[in-house]
Amino acid sequence: MPGAAQVDTNPTDVTSIHGAALSRRGFIGAGGMLMVTLGLAPGLARAAAGAKLDATRPASWIEIHADSTITMRTGKCDFGQSSIYTAYRQVVAEELSVPVEAITTVISGDTDRTPDGGGTFALLQNAAGNMRKAAAYTREAVLELAAQRFGVPRGAVSVADGVISGGGKTARYGEIVAGADLHLAIPVTGRLGDIIGLAVAGNPPLKKVCDYTVIGKPVVNPILRPKVSGQTQWVGDVKLPGMLHARAIHPATLGSTLLSPGKLDQTQFPDAKLVQVGNLLAVVAPDEWQAVQAADAVAATTRWTAWNGLPTSDKLAEHLRGAVNWAEVPTTKSAAGKGDVTVAGAAKAHAAGYFMPYLKHAPIGPTVSLADVRRDGSVTVYTHSQNPQCLRTAIALMLGAGEDKVVIRTYPGPGHFGRSNGGNAGSEDEAVLLSRALGVPVRVQWMRHDDMAWSTQSSAMVSDIRIGLAADGSIRTYQATHSGPPMQDDRPIGALLAGLPTITAPDLDSKSPIYSPIMGVADQWVYGAVPNVLETGRGTLQIGQRESPLKVGLRDHSMRTPIQFQQNFPREVAISEAAMLAGCDALQFRIDHTTDPRVKAVLEHLRAESGWDTRSSPAPHASAAGDQVVRGRGVSMMLRDNGYWACAAHISVVPATGEVKVDRMTLVADPGIVINPLQLKRQAQAGCLMGISEALHEEVSFDSGAITSIDWSSYPILTMAEVPELKIVIAPFAGVEIYGQGSESANALAAPAIAGAFLDATGKPARRIPLRPKYVKAMLA
Amino acid sequence: MTTLTVNGEKRMVTASPDTPLLYVLRGELNVMTPRFGCGLAQCGACSVLADGEEIRSCVTPIAALEGKEVTSVDGLPARWARHNGLAPDPSRLHPVQQAWVDEQVPQCGICQFGMMIKVTELLEHNARPTDAEIKAALTTSGPSPHLCRCASYAAIMDGVHRAAQIMADGSAS
Repeated sequence: MPGAAQVDTNPTDVTSIHGAALSRRGFIGAGGMLMVTLGLAPGLARAAAGAKLDATRPASWIEIHADSTITMRTGKCDFGQSSIYTAYRQVVAEELSVPVEAITTVISGDTDRTPDGGGTFALLQNAAGNMRKAAAYTREAVLELAAQRFGVPRGAVSVADGVISGGGKTARYGEIVAGADLHLAIPVTGRLGDIIGLAVAGNPPLKKVCDYTVIGKPVVNPILRPKVSGQTQWVGDVKLPGMLHARAIHPATLGSTLLSPGKLDQTQFPDAKLVQVGNLLAVVAPDEWQAVQAADAVAATTRWTAWNGLPTSDKLAEHLRGAVNWAEVPTTKSAAGKGDVTVAGAAKAHAAGYFMPYLKHAPIGPTVSLADVRRDGSVTVYTHSQNPQCLRTAIALMLGAGEDKVVIRTYPGPGHFGRSNGGNAGSEDEAVLLSRALGVPVRVQWMRHDDMAWSTQSSAMVSDIRIGLAADGSIRTYQATHSGPPMQDDRPIGALLAGLPTITAPDLDSKSPIYSPIMGVADQWVYGAVPNVLETGRGTLQIGQRESPLKVGLRDHSMRTPIQFQQNFPREVAISEAAMLAGCDALQFRIDHTTDPRVKAVLEHLRAESGWDTRSSPAPHASAAGDQVVRGRGVSMMLRDNGYWACAAHISVVPATGEVKVDRMTLVADPGIVINPLQLKRQAQAGCLMGISEALHEEVSFDSGAITSIDWSSYPILTMAEVPELKIVIAPFAGVEIYGQGSESANALAAPAIAGAFLDATGKPARRIPLRPKYVKAMLA
Repeated sequence: MTTLTVNGEKRMVTASPDTPLLYVLRGELNVMTPRFGCGLAQCGACSVLADGEEIRSCVTPIAALEGKEVTSVDGLPARWARHNGLAPDPSRLHPVQQAWVDEQVPQCGICQFGMMIKVTELLEHNARPTDAEIKAALTTSGPSPHLCRCASYAAIMDGVHRAAQIMADGSAS
């Protein structure tokens, strides 16, 4: 494609395809291609022009090649969801009416090779819709060309299974584009560096859901074979000539500044160098093991200021309840609010406080990045970001450079569940600063303790819930107040330590809707039959951020179902407690309080599939004491991204020891259109098991200055031995024509179902996680 | 100089004898499938076989491995071929790898290199493990449990049973 640009400025002819511009730049001898590019509104042109360093490589969504193979591109990345290699290909193949195998190449993430940007989240809900529309425009353009070729009206042309037919003639996609240099510029809105990225605009005709043949098939993930055979190059595997290995020496606390760097013994570590950029301290060496050892030695003698700005994890709930001034940040109310929750005359009342601890994304591999800053100011970062365009913006801002100078190349890396969906996972900016300082490529590999102590975390929440029951046992009033720190800090830590510019923190004066301390109510209300409802969100700054001289403190970041998990747990546990108070079955009680047929359907499926015994809690042999095993079952429910999910947990508890064991989990999902049942099942299974991990084990501990969960013994997660019997039931509600989401709800629902089962087994509520023996014994005391 | 046998090849390495094997494999020998996870023998992402026994390469100095046969996931297909007298075939995966594809086991996949090593060790000693034996192998048999943050454990269980079946079919034919 010689000299191709994003928007054709001198086309030989232009045809409008439902608002997209199809142009033919002439004919070329061999090959031929239809390339789908960005059609930009005038104000957006600059942002997109910076999308690439190499102007001869146009950013393109979909390329149809002369041999009928198809390349598709997405700014999103894979972190184990498989969606961009399975569901995305199915969505594009479906709209084009080609076999899914025709899409032979998926180019992902790289800022100079993909068009749309945006974070890797809500893949099926948001981003797949973009691919669907881009494919629909493409199909319409090719069918228009086919009509011209066949000499028939457009209405006489159709396509099925990759074959285009009309007027008695047939051709494959490749034959229509062969020999031509075709460009289709589709209309888009949004901004490349935004967290959501660009969206495809307009309304091309979409294939009817009832005509689907590719969506709904269990397409396998094509990247797994190269991964398990060892052929895939992962982010940590990239090597460049002259590259140095770096280990950062992070401050002693989340508020400590550097007093004096430790001594680097050059006789012991002859090839190592110490680099300091503000409070960012690192050791580099050509040999990785030497860098590790030298950094350990230097760290031992490095002096930092003392800082004690954290409340400690033991006193966190107390701090959130007593020490935070919740009046600093405007409160919010949910859209579910109605009636008057102060109405008198409740026959029975439930009022309780709930607590969710800080959690870690905790990827199995600590973050690792490689940066190459050249003398000409160009920067290439090799990393595993969930939002490469946002990372690019952050790196350019940190360096005071134009975004056109920065390219982010992405590689497979460890799943980290949202931590980098606004750009950085942790090491990228440090690699850039060290490479700039040394003039050679630098690879920064965080050690386990760096990744635990210096990454962001999913933030804590306290909730107060009051439920008033009418004389007939139905809920008359529901009142919830959710209070917690914000959940999205995308400031790179290396830039903060170095004292360089960053994007805004979630501060009081932040104008950003994303980087904001305002606490919304994220958990969608599903109990529409309750007459009086009031849900309030109260926000504050990140704990310790204001007090930290580094402006660091406990930096928070979204994880899987951010905020919704923290608000759904107290709601669902409180509903189970209210059901017990009313003398009702916890599952039937939920059905009785909904007006949404999809809620009812998913709960009725759950009752049948889980072997649910309908009765009130506690269980007949429930006990809060003794060394005999007691058993119980609990239920939870979540509506998220138009997907309805419900979960039943069957557990065993030994009251005397505080041991909780999950015996059986049943999960029912109604996600709307199921794009790939095989991958959905795998995602739901794993999401649910990770949820058990959070319910039983996980809590970030910290002292008055630093995170003390620094390895897998101080931050334990679920092991294979604890895996229960697990049943996933996919039961889409008939007639729902939207793509539903994957495993996030499965992840969130485990904890409230387990807590409901705990209530059933012991008669005592579990109003916090994790259900570690220490906390369980306190709950039962 | 230390001499190591890695995936069937004798390799001379210049790293000091106390260097952990992981850094030598990845840095000097370009054997990239063992992963850095914790450096503390707490997760299993770096596991390799040494004479058929799983070890954690992040804490094992190369001096301890002289004269031993080190196998990483890269070397599993050749190991299977050798044990079963099969002609080399670059398209053939080890049954455990094949099962991991067939059952769509990995999510992100970073832990799976260690998982596949541990499962290979298990199946070489126990051709038909029960669920309980699989759980024990991946939880209590080594220095630490093999951890998967994606929690792909249900898929791993399916994968082990599938691998056992492929192995049984392979040795029967």
